[in-house]
Amino acid sequence: MSGTAGGAVFTVETVRFAYPDRPPCLDGVSFDVRRGERLALVGANGSGKSTLLHLLDGLYFPIGGRVAYLGTPLSEDALERAPFGPLFRQEVGFLFQNSDAQLFCPTVEDELAFGPLQAGWTQEDVLRRIEDTLALLEIGRLRGRAPAGLSAGEKKRVALASLLVLSPSVLLLDEPTAGLDPRSQSLLLEILEALHGRGLTLVTATHDLTLLPHLADRVIVLSEGHRIVADGEPEHVLGDTDLLLAVNLIHAHSHRHGRLVHSHPHQHVVAHGHEHDHDHDGHRGHDD
Amino acid sequence: MTALPEWLRPGARPTGSPRRGPGGHRLVRRALGAIARAAALLGADPRDSSGGFLRAANPRAKLLAAVGLTVVATLLRGVLPLGSCLTFTVALAPVARIPARRLLPVLAVALASAALMLPASLNVVSGGAPILTLWRPAGAALGPWRLPEFVAVTGDGLVVVGRMVVRTAVCASLATLLTATTQPQQLLGGLRSLGVPQAFVMVLAMTERYLAVLLQAARELHLARLARTVAAIGVRREEAWAGAGVGAMFRRTRGLAEGVTLAMVSRGFTGEVRLLRRARWRGRDWVLVAAAAAVAAGLLILDRGLA
Repeated sequence: MSGTAGGAVFTVETVRFAYPDRPPCLDGVSFDVRRGERLALVGANGSGKSTLLHLLDGLYFPIGGRVAYLGTPLSEDALERAPFGPLFRQEVGFLFQNSDAQLFCPTVEDELAFGPLQAGWTQEDVLRRIEDTLALLEIGRLRGRAPAGLSAGEKKRVALASLLVLSPSVLLLDEPTAGLDPRSQSLLLEILEALHGRGLTLVTATHDLTLLPHLADRVIVLSEGHRIVADGEPEHVLGDTDLLLAVNLIHAHSHRHGRLVHSHPHQHVVAHGHEHDHDHDGHRGHDD
Repeated sequence: MTALPEWLRPGARPTGSPRRGPGGHRLVRRALGAIARAAALLGADPRDSSGGFLRAANPRAKLLAAVGLTVVATLLRGVLPLGSCLTFTVALAPVARIPARRLLPVLAVALASAALMLPASLNVVSGGAPILTLWRPAGAALGPWRLPEFVAVTGDGLVVVGRMVVRTAVCASLATLLTATTQPQQLLGGLRSLGVPQAFVMVLAMTERYLAVLLQAARELHLARLARTVAAIGVRREEAWAGAGVGAMFRRTRGLAEGVTLAMVSRGFTGEVRLLRRARWRGRDWVLVAAAAAVAAGLLILDRGLA
């Protein structure tokens, strides 16, 4: 299964989706994902970005519109048919936000072997790939450990390894750095950068705008009304303060500077510091 | 700036203090202990613990032996053969280096089955000669139904109860021996290789994974409860909380279990259990199966001989 270089890997056409007995969480969403690009889906909590990733991975199916992979519409029938179904599962990897859900085997080795064994690879091939993947992600020492006992950073690396072992051409990443300490976060971003260098298509759902320069060449912004409200380069999207305020990705943040209180747009990220370069009442800058 | 209520400052609490300390929360502490023990059992890795011939045996050989002995246990009728069968299975535990505490659930299962089977010990259910008379309604009637002359425990009734309890204990011991010495994935793979339908094995695989998720959620819920415990509450409120907690736990775990299923499907799971290292069938596996067959045959001969 191979697509045209630079052509559309995924085509999403006027997709609507709703969970049972709930209002739609995606409403008329359309876009393409081109081969080799790094696309970020950003939006506030509940805007539908995780659901969109589930649709791209053929885990949920739209109630209206269609999602196609290399021109083939994703449906239960299509994914159950060989060769499309098995090849799709090998080519598209999905890194879940919750690593505990993603890691379900007794040991890390079994975890990495799960996909290749499902794909019918020989034991020799599976073991060789496991060896290489463990070395790549520097988790060889975890091979015989139970995933449940690992740290959050280790779990995330094992989850990523369980996808990479299949040599996917597309990675769908749901809040990949959520809950990671700075070192694990930085290591994960380095790995994703290197994978993109190898030509992998990366689609990341996040509400952490600080990740965009590392993870995206293109950004799609979902509103709280579950529609696409912007599609463009990260600099362009990040520069549009009114848009980011409207979709609840930043908010007006209050500070006290001496006796003065003032507000400015701000996004909360974990354990960060920044300096204000404006001057109020003799005070200049502080950490937030 | 966010305006905080006046009371939100250290030490600003209404007057009055709890009459009891939090130490009374035995229910929560007991639940935590039970969850920890269950999680330890579920998470134990049978491959590298303390050795023993059963751990080294092929899962298929163990399954064949266990299923064979279970079928025989259900066929036995005599008290002596059934007792011998139970003694044999329980005696296997120390030989296979399985700690005695792993067999405690067998005792619980036996007691539960005894409680369920108690009515079968009465003359009104099983008949037979009375041993102990419990009640004499003396020809009284309940609406259109005439009550029996007397209600008593009978010898035949006790044999029926004893037979069922021992059979249950044998089955539980065999299941414990099997699960204590076999990794879940290997066990499921063994079931498939013995021809158990894929759908059934898939349900077992999902159940095994869901149990782990459920235990984790239960532990978090109970720890959160313990962390917020200020003072002991009455038993009724404690029970009400426990009931509500079970509901909350199922809601939480349902989401996570769905996530696990989706993650499996996403990585190509079609319901077939595939193993990286399939255990090889060795000479000792033939010995195990032959020994189980010999024991089964011996018990059947003993049973028929006594009949």
